[in-house]
Amino acid sequence: MTTLDVVFVLLGVVAVGAAVLVVTTRQLVHAALWLVVSFGALAGGYLMLTAEFVAWVQVLIYVGAVVVLLLFGIMLTRAPIGRSADLDSGNRWAALAVALATAGVLVTVLVRGFRTAYAPLDVAGQGAAKPLGESVFRIWVLPFEVLSVLLLAALVGAIVLSRREI
Amino acid sequence: MKAEGIQAASWLLIALPLAGAAILLLGGRRTDKWGHLLGAAMPLGSFAVGLAAFFQMLGYSGNARIRHLHIYDYFVVGNFKVDMGLLIDPLSISFVLLITGVGSLIHIYSIGYMAHDPDRRRFFAYLNLFVAAMLLLVLADNYLGLYIGWEGVGLASYLLIGFWQYKPTAAVAAKKAFVVNRVGDFGLSVAILLMFATFGTVQFAGVYGGIGHASQGTVTAIGLLLLLGACGKSAQLPLQSWLLDAMEGPTPVSALIHAATMVTAGVYLIVRSNPIFNLSPDARLAVTVVGAATLLAGAIIGCAKDDIKKALAGSTMSQIGYMMLAAGLGKVGYVFAIAHLIAHGFFKAGMFLGAGSVMHAMKEDVNMRKYGALRTVMYITFGTFFLGYLAIIGFPGLSGFFTKDGIIETAFNKGGTSGAVLGTCAVLGAGITAFYMSRLMFMTFFGEKRWDDDVHPHESPLVMTIPLMLLAIGSVFAGGFLVLGGFADFLAPVVGAQEHKFHWVSVPGTVTLLLMFAGVALAWMQYGARPVPREAPRGSFLTVFARRDLYGDALNESLLMRPGQWATRLAVYFDTKGVDGLVNGLAAGVGGSSGRLRRVQTGFVRSYALSMFLGAALVVGALFLVRI
Amino acid sequence: MTGSAVLNTVAIGDIQAPHLEYGQLGPMLLVFGVAVLGVLVEALVGRGWRQFIQVPLTFAGLAGAFVWILVLGVKDKPLHVAAEGAVGVDAPTLFLQGTILVLALVSLLLIADRQNGAFTPQASALPGSDAEREGIASGTVQSELYPLMLFAVGGMMLFTAANDLLTMFVALEVMSLPLYIMCGLARRRRLLSQEAAVKYFLLGAFSSAFFLYGTALLYGYAGSVRLSDIATATGNNAGSEPLLLAGIALLSVGLLFKLGAVPFQAWKPDVYQGAPTPVTALMASCTLVAAVGATLRVFYVALENMSWDWRPMMWGVAILTMLVGAIIAITQTDLKRMLAYSSIAHAGFLLTGVIATSQAGLSGTLFYLAAYGFTTIGAFAVITMVRDAGGEAGHLSRWAGLGKRSPVVAGVFAFFLLAFAGIPLTSGFTGKFAVFKAAIDGGATPLVVVGVISSAIAAFFYLRVIVVMFFSEPAADGPAVVTTIPTAAAVALGATVTVVLGVLPQPMLDVAGQAASHLFVR
Repeated sequence: MTTLDVVFVLLGVVAVGAAVLVVTTRQLVHAALWLVVSFGALAGGYLMLTAEFVAWVQVLIYVGAVVVLLLFGIMLTRAPIGRSADLDSGNRWAALAVALATAGVLVTVLVRGFRTAYAPLDVAGQGAAKPLGESVFRIWVLPFEVLSVLLLAALVGAIVLSRREI
Repeated sequence: MKAEGIQAASWLLIALPLAGAAILLLGGRRTDKWGHLLGAAMPLGSFAVGLAAFFQMLGYSGNARIRHLHIYDYFVVGNFKVDMGLLIDPLSISFVLLITGVGSLIHIYSIGYMAHDPDRRRFFAYLNLFVAAMLLLVLADNYLGLYIGWEGVGLASYLLIGFWQYKPTAAVAAKKAFVVNRVGDFGLSVAILLMFATFGTVQFAGVYGGIGHASQGTVTAIGLLLLLGACGKSAQLPLQSWLLDAMEGPTPVSALIHAATMVTAGVYLIVRSNPIFNLSPDARLAVTVVGAATLLAGAIIGCAKDDIKKALAGSTMSQIGYMMLAAGLGKVGYVFAIAHLIAHGFFKAGMFLGAGSVMHAMKEDVNMRKYGALRTVMYITFGTFFLGYLAIIGFPGLSGFFTKDGIIETAFNKGGTSGAVLGTCAVLGAGITAFYMSRLMFMTFFGEKRWDDDVHPHESPLVMTIPLMLLAIGSVFAGGFLVLGGFADFLAPVVGAQEHKFHWVSVPGTVTLLLMFAGVALAWMQYGARPVPREAPRGSFLTVFARRDLYGDALNESLLMRPGQWATRLAVYFDTKGVDGLVNGLAAGVGGSSGRLRRVQTGFVRSYALSMFLGAALVVGALFLVRI
Repeated sequence: MTGSAVLNTVAIGDIQAPHLEYGQLGPMLLVFGVAVLGVLVEALVGRGWRQFIQVPLTFAGLAGAFVWILVLGVKDKPLHVAAEGAVGVDAPTLFLQGTILVLALVSLLLIADRQNGAFTPQASALPGSDAEREGIASGTVQSELYPLMLFAVGGMMLFTAANDLLTMFVALEVMSLPLYIMCGLARRRRLLSQEAAVKYFLLGAFSSAFFLYGTALLYGYAGSVRLSDIATATGNNAGSEPLLLAGIALLSVGLLFKLGAVPFQAWKPDVYQGAPTPVTALMASCTLVAAVGATLRVFYVALENMSWDWRPMMWGVAILTMLVGAIIAITQTDLKRMLAYSSIAHAGFLLTGVIATSQAGLSGTLFYLAAYGFTTIGAFAVITMVRDAGGEAGHLSRWAGLGKRSPVVAGVFAFFLLAFAGIPLTSGFTGKFAVFKAAIDGGATPLVVVGVISSAIAAFFYLRVIVVMFFSEPAADGPAVVTTIPTAAAVALGATVTVVLGVLPQPMLDVAGQAASHLFVR
């Protein structure tokens, strides 16, 4: 167990713990903020795996965009701010069981699948900017451009749904 | 071999009358003015094409006369092929010429006969539909196409028998024809299914190619089922009861459908399927028995009928019995069956049209007891009818002589007890035929005038008498032309080369001739020499027997209908309690489960998402389970 | 950590440009290009002119793409992998893309029908408010609909052509997002429509997550997301088994959701019922074609070596889908909902073609898709024609006696229902026959038995509608049949194709067979 492994495990604990708090807290805004912590921890994990570009993208997109969107949604839909008792449905215990089962299955599958996987971390990994840029703009250029079409469609759709004076 | 030249346009044969029917039916009242002309022109067009195809066929020889015309592939999936094509060979072209030739003449006749009927256009539309379906029946190169044509002529027959819908008897007759035909059609469809199951195809080529490898039981079963179908369509025992009632339809219908063409479809079926029958002596025996029984039954019925059309119908039944007998005898019998069929087409159609002419003159009265001495006023009708009469009784030199004697000879040549019995039946039938046909002639055209007071008979217009004259020519010459002109060689590619020689004088032939004269003489004594009573006398036991159609209907009732009704009651009980219980229970079960299942659709997205999640878990589980 | 944190400077010219076969990508690029043009039209053209420019533009785009597809298909043997391996252009793909384009053209007739306006003039107006009333009075229509439709169609085309899972995922999103929006734009029953849109969005996002997770697991197994590489890896048995199986399972979940297979069918009835009927027609035909196409590609290329593993699971799904779709449809009273369940049952029949994993299965499925698409659009087009005061008369009881008042329309609808039921001489019969025959040849006879049973159950509710239309008395205040030219044209096209493919199916069967002859490109 090197320092790196310890730090990685700590980041993981933070991520999982924050995630548990997201679903158990009684305040909706707190849930969104705990989500920020969880995503941030994940970004740290990426950084540990020499994928610095991905780490920054994680911070930018998930923390910056997604959570902000969630917060705006909470604000605009006048969701309850402060303690509210009815955030959970009655299925809470069944959901817990299902979640634990799913987690168990996924963990088992991943552990068994990647037990012998090996990636050298002493050279620049595939998550750095240069290799990502090369592959995105060469091999993956078509899906990349089509994604831009997706964003355009989403923009148009948003305008369709919300424009007042046409 | 593929069809070339004119024969490649043989689809026109079916398309022209079909187009005519479509135009006349869809056009509606607008086409009333010229509908009958279009309707008559279409079969003429088909006749022209058929004639051209026939002459082209004469240019070939031997097996080159068998030509295929591929119409279209319905679908080909894997090695399963369903396609439609036409088979132009000597057998089908003979039928084509008969159907279109005699058919055209009857269409022309109908222009005059139906001149006063407001629904004349619809009549021609149905007639055209019939011609199209009948042509499909004889031209198809597979049993499925034949079956479609079979059903088509049945439909047309139903529509035409019941044409005068305001007559309740007509509607009942149409329904009876349809129902009895269903029984026969059932036999035909089971035969086709059996063929498909055994050979994997219903093409003629495929079935006849594989028939050698099928088991004897299968071959016999197919043969018997085909016979059942033929009995229904050709009004043979035991499915003969509809033919006499079918006379309710207009006379041209009786001439075309119930004399010349549709009722001969059964004979066509058996002759076309000759490879099947050649391999099954049992099926052939059944055919000959049916033929012989029917020819006697029809003749006896014809003796006692006072309705001129019903008498002719009984005669038709009997003559088709001859054809069936010949077809069942096999070998050269096929040739004589078809030859007699063609000759019969001419003289029977001629006689029916003549009867129509007489009815026209006698204000649609069909009772022969009210006729008498019509030869003095209706010369052409009498002349043509007389020629047809001579042909049917087998007067030496005319059509029937050649064909009927050919059949009788073939029967005796079969040898053994069966040959002797069948031959004797045929000879006897010839005698009875002479009797009842002479009776008809004497009652209608000879003797004293027994007309009603307001009836003033006169000759029919030219549009009706010209077809009569043309048909009379056929009646006289057709038989001799065919038998002496080498019809056996013509049909050889279809039924095989047959050895035969027509004997002008032979023992059976002489006996037949003697019986013929005896029958004529007997009829003269009963109806020619003595005055015919206007009211039908009670008659002897035999007369009553014959008048009641040999108690055919009563027999049907007690043998089939009463037990049928008991069986139906039993089946209904079983059906309502057992089967319906099961089906309703099943339906209730499905409906109930549907009602319960539909509640799964709660409308809440979270429930949907949960069901999807559980489904995903099931899918994962299913995949992993395989590996355990 | 080493100095990999230092950014390496890259000299210009170091990054190699990708090699794109624009000719092969032409149809998709054309559709996307026209869609972008449409957005520009929205931005720059005045309100009154927009519809008049958008409709011909959309039509031209779809028609031009179809012509391009024909050229590609006829010119040389199409068997290429294009765009650096992201897209596979082969004969089945061209067939599917062509089918999608033609079906989209017919749906365009329905969408562009202004008289039978199915779309709300202003989506942001609250239902029942003054703004809504003003919008309806002014007669305008939100014509962003057309570029959105083109985006969806472009996404569908890419979905069927995608040669690796990531492109497929992107295409899945591009295809679905505009559809989510279009589902919410109905003119009447706005709340139901918006509910349908939200449900479709939430559940679609949920299933996309499954798809992506499956992709990730398969990447973990094979080291690549390209379908052919996955196939090679499964052949070599290189990685860990559970990863592979879990990946296949989750990937299937994503694909089966789009198909509408049980147990992922819950969205279909609500979404089909709530969406505006022209959009339902588009979804029922084009989306189904795209989903089946992608499923075919994944199972025939990537997972072909694993057929022993995924067959039992697919058997179960197919049987459940065919039965559940048919059974629940029995107690439905709303026509659109009933047709949604019927489409679930048909998805089950299509799955039997997928399970066959043979050339015959592929060609049969292609034919069935083409036949079914036209019949479905025709049926939904007829539903838009039957209207009463409150809009479309969707309840079955309102259709009573329609045969007496509008025999032609009722007759055509009855014909479509018979085609769904698979009566001979309709395209439905030929399609079912082709698919079932391929399934039997592939050893899946029990599936065919279940399929026949399901068809028998389904025939019940199809015939019930026919009976209600022709043998019941019409209600006094019953709905009227409104015939507008574009909708009537769509119905006529659907009916013609259904008849032609039923009576003369051989040419189309040949085309499908040729398309399937080389299977998919690797």
